[in-house]
Amino acid sequence: MSELQLAMTNTAGLTSVMSFWVFVGSNISKRWRELMLKVALAVMVVGFVALTVAIVTRGIDAGRFPLANLYESLLWFAWATMGGYLLMQKLYSIQHLGWLASLTAATMFLYGSWLPASQHEITPLVPALVSYWRQIHVPPLICSYAMFFISGLSGLVQLWQSGRLRALAFAVGALVFAISAIGLGTFTSLDTFLLQGLFVGGSIAGLSAAWLSLNKISSGRVNQERAELYDEVGYRGIMIGFPLLTIGIITGGLWANHAWGNYWSWDPKESMALVTWLSYAAYIHLRIHRECSAEKLSLVTVAGMILTLLTYLGFNSLGFGGLHSYGRFK
Amino acid sequence: MRVAGQPLRPSDEEMTASVASPVKNSPPAKRSKLAIFASVKMTVTLLILIAATVLVGAWCPQESQVGFQKVIEMFGEQTAVKLSELGITDIFHSVWFLVLIGLLTINMVACSVQRVFPKIRTLKQPMPFFTNREISKLPVNRELSLPVSSELGLEKLSTKLRQSGYKVVENGHSLSAEWGKFGRLAPTITHIGLLSLLAGVTISSWTGFSGFKPTPLASAMSFGSSEHSKLWIGKLPEWRVRVDGTRREDYPTGEPKQWYSDLTVIDSQGHELKKQQISVNNPLSYDGVDIYQSSWGLDQIVLQFNGHERRLDLRQMGKVYAAFLPLEEGMILIFSVRNQVQPVRVFAKTPQWEAPRLLSEIPLGKSVRLGSVNLEYKELIPITGLQYKSDPGYGVTLVAFCFIMAGVMLAAVPHRQVWAHVRTEAEPANEETTAEQDLCILSVGGRSVKAKTAFEKSLYSILTRLEQEFAATGAKA
Ligand code: HEM
Repeated sequence: MSELQLAMTNTAGLTSVMSFWVFVGSNISKRWRELMLKVALAVMVVGFVALTVAIVTRGIDAGRFPLANLYESLLWFAWATMGGYLLMQKLYSIQHLGWLASLTAATMFLYGSWLPASQHEITPLVPALVSYWRQIHVPPLICSYAMFFISGLSGLVQLWQSGRLRALAFAVGALVFAISAIGLGTFTSLDTFLLQGLFVGGSIAGLSAAWLSLNKISSGRVNQERAELYDEVGYRGIMIGFPLLTIGIITGGLWANHAWGNYWSWDPKESMALVTWLSYAAYIHLRIHRECSAEKLSLVTVAGMILTLLTYLGFNSLGFGGLHSYGRFK
Repeated sequence: MRVAGQPLRPSDEEMTASVASPVKNSPPAKRSKLAIFASVKMTVTLLILIAATVLVGAWCPQESQVGFQKVIEMFGEQTAVKLSELGITDIFHSVWFLVLIGLLTINMVACSVQRVFPKIRTLKQPMPFFTNREISKLPVNRELSLPVSSELGLEKLSTKLRQSGYKVVENGHSLSAEWGKFGRLAPTITHIGLLSLLAGVTISSWTGFSGFKPTPLASAMSFGSSEHSKLWIGKLPEWRVRVDGTRREDYPTGEPKQWYSDLTVIDSQGHELKKQQISVNNPLSYDGVDIYQSSWGLDQIVLQFNGHERRLDLRQMGKVYAAFLPLEEGMILIFSVRNQVQPVRVFAKTPQWEAPRLLSEIPLGKSVRLGSVNLEYKELIPITGLQYKSDPGYGVTLVAFCFIMAGVMLAAVPHRQVWAHVRTEAEPANEETTAEQDLCILSVGGRSVKAKTAFEKSLYSILTRLEQEFAATGAKA
């Protein structure tokens, strides 16, 4: 790793943590709020730029497109999360989402830095990956995952703003189970079925409980206008993520067709991307006639985020096999 | 076009036709039982069921790809058999899955024809003009008063909207403007794409074929053993493909980097029709059939024992390939090769020895003496894994992919509509303005079904800039 690359990656990691704390801190005092929000945003812009430079230098150092292993994809994910948030911030004033976006980026950095050193090194590619298709196929996917995350996080904020505190707690619980399963799967050698049970059981239980407690409203907490705002942000996030996922899946099919003569082989990761795609297609159609309340749709975005997590990281850590897994590295 | 029974909300074009239309409460019309096939509820249900099924398929290793042995490895014999009986180990060929896909197809065709495609017509309808009373009922609306004539006020607004990318139509004291109209093509384009995809896949599956044929150097492959669907009306080619050369290229670490094969297409009389080198990601195409490099290995080693030629089959063992030749009294000769350049290593193993002993290394084309035997390393025959495919639906599928991608991208464009109406009011004289002055009262409103809040923000920022401009010029005057 070159020094510039290292310095820029570290700057980006550090700024994501910093912007998180400034976003959180902005709630402390009403007087400083506006200023602190501006600072947090500026810090995030710095991080975004630093990460852009880091990724570009990594590409130059490696002499290839810098998206070939899990570590590199995590950098991209953090980049797309920051970029996606900044994009949304241009369309909406979404300060309540800032700390969650920073937290997501920071978590990805942390996860990446805990991976074994072999992941950080620049390694040559296996024959199957030597193709210009790789850079057409993978970036849209990673960016779509990041947009789905932003959308799911927005769903959480929507639940908060609409006073669905109990549902929110359950939804967060579901996420915690899912994330823990992935963390444990990456860094320990617990039994695969146990981890899968933790992931699936925890998220289904949490989301079902959340669904059932949607009627419980803490009326003093309702901010209808903001609830509407975050509902829309969640939707827009998906409307940006969905085309990206579509492009990623289709170019993947074209690549496979080009390389192996088959668009689709029901490889586990392909299938998972399809599951995510179908679920968001369901969300879009659910929304067309607005039969569903905004809160239910928010829960769907959270469910979507969990599916995205499973598609993106679940495969390595929860023991699904297949062509696409980045390989286990324990 | 709405299917009766849907909750009634003013939809885009109904609003366009008669703004602020009171929500019509027509009685639920009688509908045929078939209408369910055209309902979005069914779409959502099917999409979720299919997603869940595919999820199970992603989780459980699929027999058709990795073999049943893998399922047993993962779950143990008993559970594996249970899963197999439930159809879970081959879920993408199960009746359940096929029925779901069938229903989705019917649903999609019905819905597209009945509800999605007809919406194209509404695109041609011009936007109406609204009075200020109608404008005040729009989801986003505001009234400005500007210290100018009404003509100038409306003109300035029109300019500002144009600068922000709106298409503006003016009509006397009214104006209507639209942004991102083409976004409304999204459902139509996407669904045309989805239907074309189904068509393309069907054409391919009924007339296409594919297969995998490991072919040793200097042999020719034909298409006899190809696979195709049950409902098949295609035809297999007569020509064959000869492998004239094939090799592997490694990284310095010994990891494979690329595989190459020199192929020649020959007809039944042996005439050469086409020659090409293929590699991974770089196939040969001939007569509608594509031939891909999909795997590579070493097939046989040719040795000469005191002038007698023997061909031994090679087996892959990690990074090397090995051939075994049993001799008398439990002794086994092992020949190990790594690639086409390095020499063959000859080992001997008896039951008494713990590990095989290296006897010799022989470069290609050379010989050594082992006891009374003259052993020559004559040839190494590589085998190239050729995957082939004929896909007559390819063109349609490709067009479908383009439509789907374009359609979902268009769906990200939120359609925005703005209406404005001006009237003039006389402002009574006050301390600052000595004379009575005409004020332009501008009612502006609009909506964006997909992105109301963002629309509100952008429209208000346009209006604020408009006000500021007049405040500035007003101050000067
Ligand atoms: C198979 C059954 C399907 C049916 C019956 C169906 C039906 C519909 C209907 C009725 C609309 C609304 C059109 C409108 O109100 O303007 C729509 C929109 C749409 N559909 Fe589907 N659809 C199906 C599958 C899919 C799938 C698999 C996708 C995946 C890409 C998809 C993508 C879309 C998109 C992107 C829109 C536009 C949404 C928007 O403009 O906000 N549809 N669909």
